[in-house]
Amino acid sequence: MNHLPVECPRCAFEEISLLATSPVPGVWDVVQCGRCLYTWRTIEPARRTRRDAYPDSFKLTAQDIENAIEVPAVPPLLK
Amino acid sequence: MAYDDLRSFLDTLDKEGQLLRITDEVLPEPDLAAAANATGRIGENAPALHFDNVKGFTDARIAMNVHGSWANHALALGLPKNTPVKEQVEEFARRWDAFPVAPERREDAPWRENTQEGENVDLFSVLPLFRLNDGDGGFYLDKAAVVSRDPEDPDDFGKQNVGTYRIQVIGTNRLAFQPVPMHDVAQHLRKAEEKGEDLPIAITLGNDPVMAIVAGMPMAYDQSEYEMAGALRGAPAPIATAPLTGFDVPWGSEVVIEGVIESRKRQIEGPFGEFTGHYSGGRRMPVIRVDRVSYRTNPVFESLYLGMPWTECDYLVGPNTCVPLLKQLRAEFPEVQAVNAMYTHGLMVIISTAKRYGGFAKAVGMRAMTTPHGLGYVAQVILVDEDVDPFNLPQVMWAMSAKVNPKDDVVVIPNLSVLELAPAAQPAGISSKMIIDATTPVAPDVRGNFSTPAKDLPETAEWAARLQRLIAARG
Repeated sequence: MNHLPVECPRCAFEEISLLATSPVPGVWDVVQCGRCLYTWRTIEPARRTRRDAYPDSFKLTAQDIENAIEVPAVPPLLK
Repeated sequence: MAYDDLRSFLDTLDKEGQLLRITDEVLPEPDLAAAANATGRIGENAPALHFDNVKGFTDARIAMNVHGSWANHALALGLPKNTPVKEQVEEFARRWDAFPVAPERREDAPWRENTQEGENVDLFSVLPLFRLNDGDGGFYLDKAAVVSRDPEDPDDFGKQNVGTYRIQVIGTNRLAFQPVPMHDVAQHLRKAEEKGEDLPIAITLGNDPVMAIVAGMPMAYDQSEYEMAGALRGAPAPIATAPLTGFDVPWGSEVVIEGVIESRKRQIEGPFGEFTGHYSGGRRMPVIRVDRVSYRTNPVFESLYLGMPWTECDYLVGPNTCVPLLKQLRAEFPEVQAVNAMYTHGLMVIISTAKRYGGFAKAVGMRAMTTPHGLGYVAQVILVDEDVDPFNLPQVMWAMSAKVNPKDDVVVIPNLSVLELAPAAQPAGISSKMIIDATTPVAPDVRGNFSTPAKDLPETAEWAARLQRLIAARG
């Protein structure tokens, strides 16, 4: 396939990279958002692959990603 | 009988009518997860599922729901498939007493057949990865046994941890990893990160069925999961040396992934539909760089569906959560009869106990909250009398409805620790906790009108066993 989607369904970022292609040529690709790391297979249902069909409750903004808490927190370095 | 690898257990499930081979072509999404999701909706003795015809793949072999029924859980322990749940837990507890059983090291691990290293590592070429729930951030490894060592005491076999954690695949050789702070690997990571060092790690997929049980079992920090596996199997657990890390890993694994948790780095991970029946994540989690993958030819990729209970996860960790709590409570309170911690990994626990004196049952409930597992779970405890079966929910509801005077028998303690995944926690990691004392008050706690209970007839227990035997013989 290798015609990469133009935006991330989850965060609308426009840098999408190719992670894998189907062992049977041309069936599907696995692609990933360069910002929120959302990963999807191109033949998944629209609710997982298209921005206009992606559920609002799972959408992320740049702010959500930047402000996400660390789990576990990075501990102080021992001196 | 002890199984040394996943494949031999799948053969037994097949012979026992507990493996469904789906040979029609299915979609990787949503079919694989939806089929496994459905196993939790078709009754308590659902089969394991095996797929080998997945659209776009050529050699994919995928096993799901391997532990996802009481029949399969019994077979994993080498018990007859119709063994009642309470007996499975009691047998588990009995075998625990053989701990520790030293493992047996073998050098001919079948996962040595194939290797990828360094720049050539490509997890997508080894594993038929797929998504589980709609809102998951990606594809997950969720049934691995993850091995790590204490950086301050790397030669201590007991402190080497084997645990199950959620792992998101975020690149061909990169993973995001969730170490819940209460779990052993989080202690290992903290010690490494305090020194600014990476933490080596080995992730083993497609393990023998007892390995999967002990990897999800709440054990003490310095207790070896391999030595517990030996006790539960009734035979030493076969282990081998992982080639890159030198860690001890299961001999029979399908795939062994080795690398490091990169020190002091966090990256967005999740969300993931969790065992709590809710999504969690969208947090910045540690990341793993994979440096080596070893795998059997045509590996079986074992995965587990989890979401709204009950799912395979609940069958897998239900009994193995009951037993440590039972043992730890009985150590100080021999009056404790049975512990049912099978709901959401023990966020709610039902304990049956005899009473030493008035107020005793509430003390047992408080102790449950302060066990090592209880610190991160056990947000609600229901105490029932010694003649109530905590696995029999109608009996428990009877005790709740007939014996609880809310003013005196419900105790709420504010601001205690709970794992951050608990949906009701506020803030994450903190929760009030509740004890419901549904036992009959005894002196000097003299309340209520409990002097004339109706008891089972003396012959009833014998008849119950007889009826169970007749039903089992009928097949």
